[in-house]
Amino acid sequence: MAARVLQQCVRTLARPSLRLSSGNLAFRAAVAPAAAIHRPLSFAADSRRTRWVGQSRSPSVGVLCRQYGDLPPLTIETIKDRVMYVLKLYDKINPEKLQTASHFMKDLGLDSLDQVEIIMAMEDEFGFEIPDAEAEKLMTPEDIVQYIADKKDVYE
Amino acid sequence: MAASTRAQVISLYRMMLTESKKFPSYNYRTYALRRVRDAFRANGKVEDPKTVERLMEEGHQTLAVIQRQVTVGKMFSTQKNVVEG
Repeated sequence: MAARVLQQCVRTLARPSLRLSSGNLAFRAAVAPAAAIHRPLSFAADSRRTRWVGQSRSPSVGVLCRQYGDLPPLTIETIKDRVMYVLKLYDKINPEKLQTASHFMKDLGLDSLDQVEIIMAMEDEFGFEIPDAEAEKLMTPEDIVQYIADKKDVYE
Repeated sequence: MAASTRAQVISLYRMMLTESKKFPSYNYRTYALRRVRDAFRANGKVEDPKTVERLMEEGHQTLAVIQRQVTVGKMFSTQKNVVEG
């Protein structure tokens, strides 16, 4: 099965008209080996239409790799931007007064119920659960960024 | 039974919000979230332990209602509302 897929990959990649989308070709050929040979025109149209998340594909014909779907990698900067964006959307926070070191209760005047809502918004944004015991300690945006970086193994 | 601690109230709030977000119907979901927030905020200043206990009991029962209604709603879900985006 894999040998047949590779054969068809090489055959379709040899065509000069399809050289532009060779990375997508590798994935497409892995998924639909029979269709790849019979429909070269719709092939290129499909790969132009689809949007791929992640790094750019290597253009070399020899490297055939399977593309898995995944999120872009997290960095401290992106985590901080996303945390601040979510906080600015919260209506009880004044966006001008918001800094990374501003304490929710002391500086921004929120109470514990608001803090719970903020942590739940962070859970939705980043897609993982934050247990109660650790959630009640996160009192500034900087704490939240540090906690997420610890949990997601992001370090610089 | 010991009086409800602050941590128990916070965890009940959290559980009710997470369950309310699971409603498939837009109307029920927004109502449940709004009602949970308003109820907890309005009763936040209560000091008497008996009242707190009674309110916590009501909260647990409402949580069970929400869980059952979420399950029922998922059985008969319709298409997404235009408002939801």
